[in-house]
Amino acid sequence: MNNVKHYRGRIAQTGIYLGKLFRMFIYQNDWKMLPMAAVIAGAVTFAVGNNIFKTQEGTLSGCFALVCVCIWNGFFNSIQVVCRERAIVKREHRAGMHITSYIGAHMIYQMLLCLMQTGILMFICSIANMSFPKEGIITNNFYIDFTLSLFLITYAADMASLAISCYVKNTTAAMTLMPFMLIFQLIFSGGLIYLEGAAKKLTGFTIARWGLAALCTLANYNSQPMVSLWNEIWKFRSMTIEGQQPIKIFTDTIIQEGRLNDFLLESGSYNQDPAYLYDKANLLQSWKYMIIMAVIFAVIAVLLLKRVDKDKR
Amino acid sequence: MSELFLNIVDIYHYAAIALFTIGLWKVLEKCGAKGWWALLPGGRYFKLGDVVECDNAGIVVLFLEICYCLLWIAGEFVPHESMSTGIIGLAVIVVVLIQFAFMFRIYTGVCFTFGKSWRWMFLWVPFNWIAALIFGFNPKFQPVNLGIRLNEDLKAGTDPATIGTIRNYMSHIQDGGLTVMLKERTVRDFNKKRYLLKDIYFTIPNNSLVLLLGGSGSGKTTLVNAITGYEKANAEIYLNGQNVYEQYELMKYKIGFVPQQDLLRYNDTVLNTLNDAAKLRLPTSMKRKDRTDAIDEVLDTLGLVSGKSGLVSKKSGGMKKRISIGTELICRPELFILDEPDSGLDGVIARELFETLQKIAHTGRIVIAITHTPDRVINMFDKVIVLARDSGRVGRLAFYGRPDEAKEFFGKDSMENIIMAINRKDEGGEGRADEFIAKYAEYVNEHSGNEEKEELPDEQC
Repeated sequence: MNNVKHYRGRIAQTGIYLGKLFRMFIYQNDWKMLPMAAVIAGAVTFAVGNNIFKTQEGTLSGCFALVCVCIWNGFFNSIQVVCRERAIVKREHRAGMHITSYIGAHMIYQMLLCLMQTGILMFICSIANMSFPKEGIITNNFYIDFTLSLFLITYAADMASLAISCYVKNTTAAMTLMPFMLIFQLIFSGGLIYLEGAAKKLTGFTIARWGLAALCTLANYNSQPMVSLWNEIWKFRSMTIEGQQPIKIFTDTIIQEGRLNDFLLESGSYNQDPAYLYDKANLLQSWKYMIIMAVIFAVIAVLLLKRVDKDKR
Repeated sequence: MSELFLNIVDIYHYAAIALFTIGLWKVLEKCGAKGWWALLPGGRYFKLGDVVECDNAGIVVLFLEICYCLLWIAGEFVPHESMSTGIIGLAVIVVVLIQFAFMFRIYTGVCFTFGKSWRWMFLWVPFNWIAALIFGFNPKFQPVNLGIRLNEDLKAGTDPATIGTIRNYMSHIQDGGLTVMLKERTVRDFNKKRYLLKDIYFTIPNNSLVLLLGGSGSGKTTLVNAITGYEKANAEIYLNGQNVYEQYELMKYKIGFVPQQDLLRYNDTVLNTLNDAAKLRLPTSMKRKDRTDAIDEVLDTLGLVSGKSGLVSKKSGGMKKRISIGTELICRPELFILDEPDSGLDGVIARELFETLQKIAHTGRIVIAITHTPDRVINMFDKVIVLARDSGRVGRLAFYGRPDEAKEFFGKDSMENIIMAINRKDEGGEGRADEFIAKYAEYVNEHSGNEEKEELPDEQC
């Protein structure tokens, strides 16, 4: 007689943990993440919302700010979720829980949380009167493409912090490590800080770099006017050389002849970045790398958490 | 002027190394090691760490010393003011900082070994040569804690023949209850084998509530982890005839373990907590109604029915403990182990809890409980296991039997006094662990002989 008992497998266990996480969303006040995301999004759109999608400089700084918001949201979502209940995970793992189910449940739950946060971010951007372009690259709808890009940035950052949460033993260590991860992402995004050599190569390993590339690609950065050159020239208008004011003459001529827009666009054409090429393949590449990163971080999270049995008292 | 200053610094540097070596030579000799180890850079910290029981730190410092040398050599071969020089410089700083941290640990070990205050660190760290000379040459500075360091060769009075008898005596019952035949539980720290437990043999029949008694560091949790298979030992553990280690995937569902801390998600309801535990731990063949019945039974047994819809966070300490027990009890374990279930509970609630555990035990199960306040509930226990740490710091079995037999064996009137008798003197105890471990070996030897004589006619029949 075969009296071997069967216990719940990975998929069934994932369902159990998913149910638990959704209950926690209500009881443990995880929903507070959502208004917090709205507040951060509001602050950022207030600061950078005017010039985004209008000029290269405004687009770059605005997209960078949005990437920062997404990474911040993603990091905060799951930086503590595993380490705060590490002892429980250890006990449950010893009693038959599959680590893959546990992480799988977190991945699904965090995916929904990130989607909600991205939705809130887009909503805030919309009501802040950001002048979004109309056309997308993949779906022909800018809003869908842009939302998907923001979601991927948030989710990849979320998975990175999930891996950190699986590595550290307590919440204090997690919160100590988080700023370093954040700074690394922001510095090596390759957006605002000019990098070259080995440092530039490092950007390929950051979520921020691919996130920024996706957003700037969608914003059609390369076809936008560049205003910083004009602004710099404008500062020297009063400069006098041998009784003449050549820069004032130059700027006045440009304005009088109505060629300012042409000048700005011409300036922009010399400031194009191949990483932001308005191209389907380019956008898909950025998405692909963010998805790969999210998957790698999830696998790392599983491998790290499998060591939980070795934890000492 | 600056050259003169540099010369003075150099002279001080070399003189300090020489004096440190001389002082360390004497320190090592006082600790029973060869003094010439002090002559070896890196090796001196390795040996010092070894004698003051910071052998891990000693090995790390030795390793870092080698790294430092390699980096120094590498620095000679790379062009100056290149990026590689910067990386090597950074690596040297990291190595030196880590080395400093581990040397700090070794110096702490020296202070402890010599029975001196940690404040001596303020001398050891900046002026290790002065500290080494004082510790090495001052006759008032003698190692006082060397006697308690691990010595693998130190036996606690139990000779191999006696151990063999215990094994034979204990290991013949395997079909019912829990049979523990633990030869040794060791850990490996770098290159050293360290014994945590050794020679623990006993058999617990079903329907037993057992007290696991022992002072701090006697190996109670280690033994529990070995029995449950969480941390395997060189042992054979049988639960109702099934080998726990060999059939671990099946047996882990038959063993319940309630740790000292409440491992509960506080922001979930009591019912959902138990329901999830039931779904995870009960077989899929069990029908939904049977599962609900099992949950109701646990709620009823543990007195949780009235507050089952409330959040765990809102419950009292005693209730939380009951919920913790419930999450384990739900899978109807054959062996149920609880680590200090009564910690933080008052006497009345603790007694109620042990009454519940007694009821659970007397439904054909084995319940093993660790508690530091055993006397208030001792009459409920059927058996007591006493673990003691011998002079080699190895956890050993000092007694296994009924509580009244234990009192008679140790000549004490309470369990707390038994703990006092086996605890080390520096822990405020009587330091008689070795004596009782040896006595128990003889006790088993005698009883084994009687049992063999008693069993002989049956075998002949």
